[in-house]
Amino acid sequence: MLHYIIKRLLLMIPTLFGVAVLIFLLLRVVPGDVVEARYMSQGSQFTSQDLMNIERKKLGLDQPLWKQFTSWMGGVLRLDFGLSMWTGSPITEEIKLRFALSLQLAVMATVVATLLAIPLGILAAVKQDTWIDYAVRVFSIAGLAMPSFWLGILMILVMLIVFKWLPPMVFTPFWVDPWENLAQLIWPALAVGYRYSAVATRMMRSAMLEVLREDYIRTARAKGLWLKLILTRHAMKNAMLPVLTVIGLEFAFLMGGLVVTEQVFNLNGLGMLFVEAISQRDYTLTQALVLIVAAVFIFVNFATDIAYAWLDPRIRYR
Amino acid sequence: MKQLARVLAFAVAAVLSLPGLVQAQRNGGELVFPVPSEPPSYDGHREETFGLIHPIAPFYNTLLRVDPNDKGGTKPYPSIAESWKESDGGRTYTFKIRSGVKFHDGSDLTARDVKASYDKIIFPAPGVGSTRKGQYAVVEKIEAPDRSTVVFRLKQPSGSFIASLLSPYNFIYKADILAKDPNWYEKNIMGSGPFTFVEHVKGSHVVGKKNANYWDKGKPYLDGFRAIFIRSSAAQVAAVRGERAHIQFRGFTPADRDNLKSALGNKITVQESAWDCILLVAINHEQKPFDDKRVRRALTLALDRHQASESLSKIAIVKSVAGVQVPGTPFATPPGELNKLAGYWTDINKSRAEARRLLKEAGVPEGFQFTFKNRGIPMPYEPLGVWMIDQWRQVGLNVKQEVIEPAAYFGVIRKGDYQAAMDFQCGYIVEPDLDMYKFLSADRNPANYGRYKDPVLDALYDKQSGETNVEKRKQIIRQFEKRLLDEEAHYLMTLQWHRIIPHSSKVKGWTVTPSHYLNNTLDTVWLEQ
Amino acid sequence: MAVTKETLDRLATPKPERARWLQATLDFTRQRPLGAIGAAIILVMAVVGLSAEWLAPYDALQTDYGAMLAAPSGAHWLGTDAYGRDVFSRVIFGSRTALIVGLGASIIGATLGALIGVASAFFGGRIDLVVQRIMDVLISFPLIILALAVVAILGTGVQNVILAIAIPMIPRCARVVRSSALAVREMPYVDAARAAGFTDARIVLRHMLPNVTAPYLIMLTAFLGQAILLEASLSFLGLGVQEPVAAWGLMLRGAAVEFAETAPWMAIFPGLAISLAVFGFNLFGDSLRDALDPRLRTQ
Repeated sequence: MLHYIIKRLLLMIPTLFGVAVLIFLLLRVVPGDVVEARYMSQGSQFTSQDLMNIERKKLGLDQPLWKQFTSWMGGVLRLDFGLSMWTGSPITEEIKLRFALSLQLAVMATVVATLLAIPLGILAAVKQDTWIDYAVRVFSIAGLAMPSFWLGILMILVMLIVFKWLPPMVFTPFWVDPWENLAQLIWPALAVGYRYSAVATRMMRSAMLEVLREDYIRTARAKGLWLKLILTRHAMKNAMLPVLTVIGLEFAFLMGGLVVTEQVFNLNGLGMLFVEAISQRDYTLTQALVLIVAAVFIFVNFATDIAYAWLDPRIRYR
Repeated sequence: MKQLARVLAFAVAAVLSLPGLVQAQRNGGELVFPVPSEPPSYDGHREETFGLIHPIAPFYNTLLRVDPNDKGGTKPYPSIAESWKESDGGRTYTFKIRSGVKFHDGSDLTARDVKASYDKIIFPAPGVGSTRKGQYAVVEKIEAPDRSTVVFRLKQPSGSFIASLLSPYNFIYKADILAKDPNWYEKNIMGSGPFTFVEHVKGSHVVGKKNANYWDKGKPYLDGFRAIFIRSSAAQVAAVRGERAHIQFRGFTPADRDNLKSALGNKITVQESAWDCILLVAINHEQKPFDDKRVRRALTLALDRHQASESLSKIAIVKSVAGVQVPGTPFATPPGELNKLAGYWTDINKSRAEARRLLKEAGVPEGFQFTFKNRGIPMPYEPLGVWMIDQWRQVGLNVKQEVIEPAAYFGVIRKGDYQAAMDFQCGYIVEPDLDMYKFLSADRNPANYGRYKDPVLDALYDKQSGETNVEKRKQIIRQFEKRLLDEEAHYLMTLQWHRIIPHSSKVKGWTVTPSHYLNNTLDTVWLEQ
Repeated sequence: MAVTKETLDRLATPKPERARWLQATLDFTRQRPLGAIGAAIILVMAVVGLSAEWLAPYDALQTDYGAMLAAPSGAHWLGTDAYGRDVFSRVIFGSRTALIVGLGASIIGATLGALIGVASAFFGGRIDLVVQRIMDVLISFPLIILALAVVAILGTGVQNVILAIAIPMIPRCARVVRSSALAVREMPYVDAARAAGFTDARIVLRHMLPNVTAPYLIMLTAFLGQAILLEASLSFLGLGVQEPVAAWGLMLRGAAVEFAETAPWMAIFPGLAISLAVFGFNLFGDSLRDALDPRLRTQ
């Protein structure tokens, strides 16, 4: 087990390094740079080549690529992401507030999804091929089918007309005003959580079905054990594993992938920051964001695998 | 007697036109306004976005400003300079600097600070960037002979020099700080303006509070302001609608205006103005068949501007049919004259028939296909793009739209990698020299993306620039306009932008101007109970 | 044992199913009613997409500034948009765009993914390790972010959007197919084929690919729905298909949001169309997965 953990940990390094190389190169291939974005986007007539050169030099963009890369990597190894090229402020400062928002939204959506998915998935599996099963499946597939930004638009519209509710202007951290904070995040959490629950419900259902078919459960059933008991004691534990994986992966996705939802609900999270950073060609900020999101993803992946190994003794690892 | 009556009428009109004077101003309150983009740095000399002006301008003063009550947004008005005079045949401008102006750190603002700030803009030290250096190429040197005098010496007389000093970006910084670190103001705020800096939370807001020692006694009226960064325009509207914000200074769409008005009725006051921004179409003169002026003329003739002015103004932030000057401003061509230009005729059928004839004559086949590059900004690039493609379709041109990401856009266009492309022009003040510079031959102005050389046009530009007689200058500008838009059709104009500011009726003492860069010092603004 | 080409091919090819398609369809409908509904939705969408010119009452590009933002009526069943274009016609033409992008992206993504997965499994060893790390890297990029980067590099437009959506799908498919292919690799006939001196390419194409068809098809159908959704998201962000092409995500952008209160039909119908299409693909895909491989769990 320990051997396995170490091996998995070591494998994370080349992956993260690959992510770093890829985003670094991708950004250099994207046409335009931060200086152009800053001085040419307003359609100014007086921007001189001179000014652009000075600015590029200031940001180190005149250096050869390998130098830029090594100095960036050197910083990352010391956990120093450097300064944003657009604002000149430390990247940690730029990200702080957005990270808190994205993390909280991801957690809330996960709670919503889990609360929906587990009971619905079990219900559908136990009542397989009845109308209940069909209803649950239609409900969950519908969740996957509706674009969450469209659901968001409709939610805002309905709430505006019926409740006179308006999306908030700025993010209020939970510790500042819990009520205001929840009032702001509950709607996007519901919109995202519903979609997210769809994946988890389906996984819960099929995992449950599989477990129900296994011999020991059949035996238990034959012995006349109370169905509820089976479900809670035996089946649940094993069925939870794949569900856990799905929840983990979706959680990681939510940290940086909510670009459109954030736009619809006017949330200043990592997704919007990513779009902003790319459109401003803020290389350092984009690189940092991608690394952070990828690291979260890889780590969650790792954690669920370990949990898997730990919870299910039947799985052996080479 | 007649004279007296005229003077009286004038005085009454003047009083009525200054809404701030009719009612007694009320002190207090915090003005809350959303800003659609966040300032990259705090240095006005460096940035070129309203995202800097709206939240940061209230912390600073400029040498001169535009009269806060002038709806045209062109009248020079004293600020740090109490008064100024021109001498030496227009080659010397002498400014008297107001005494008693203090920076927020308590030190005095003197002529030395003005000189240092303008030196940074016009004559930056080697290795220090200056965004607007090119705009002041006419300045030879700046002198500060004593604490209260600043002298600008020009290389030659310039009719637009004073207008260029009205730039809202040219904050007066403290000389001592600049001497130590010319980049200090990128990350710090320390001015002499009506408000002092409280905080900037990244990704959230900027807060300012009343400068109790402001030199203009009695001002500002507000206790403070809060600028909130909201990118989504729907959320900006929602903020005003929910009465959580008073105003957004850039502009809303017609749909937003109507929604706000119907939801809030009298609680909303709408101010509108022609907007000194316009989208134009650059036509690449190096690509066939666009090197042929008949083809270019056909492109402009195909556009039914008058009809679009009515219909597009319901869905986009555009309205007036315009030439090279914002309609209604001193040098603008009156509509009757303007309608004689190709593409401005009131009879669209005649115009389209002429377009088809020209295309045929130039050998362009029916259904000819070309690509129109547009910039990936929804408003108003998208509706204007959709509109033009449809208009061109009606003269038998099959146009595909390619949308390019905003940041990469001008890089692509500048390289000449296009056939026809949307171009953009936006100014802080309506002034012929500034507005028409765009169209000079490509070798004189690299920001002319049409890639043409037209010495006749250049000569007309220079001639109007040196002309001091207003009427004569107007005539030359008209010739310039006719050559640019009709005879040669180098560029073609879409519709003038239209600035719509629906704001809380509590907001008083603020006047809309044709520029969203102007009038944001907030010293005259107050909130009604 | 003399191994002939025929024996190998016979061994490798799955037994032919009963060719009675009608019977199969009926069985599928009876056993998997949800899947049948999904298939019906897809069929309708395909027919609509193919015959848009005949079905749509108006030209999707035809503007009518006299009828801007008109409410649904006899003349315009689903109303008109901000340029007076008929929403119904644009929804119909939009299904064509959705199909082109959806099919294009998922076929490219799933096929390239399957090829990489099979090759990686076949060669094994160091190549497999390297390929897997590359796939790990691509997978750790959030889907929409990778798509954003691709669009930023290549530009917008239908072809580029197809690529932008296909690329993030490659590693996801490669992973699943690789694990199936790994199982196939251990089977005796692959060894036999190698012993018979067949080229690598031939073994991969003739013997391994057919055996990973089930996971491939499952991934393909799963991607179809996702691709349509992603296209809508990208277009909504202004990074996808461009005006004046009729596309559902594009129809939800800009004016649809601005006029949501006064002209809600602009936002409601394209959204419904997206949901219905993706719903159909997902229903069908789910049932297909159950039918082909009840134990397959990935995705």
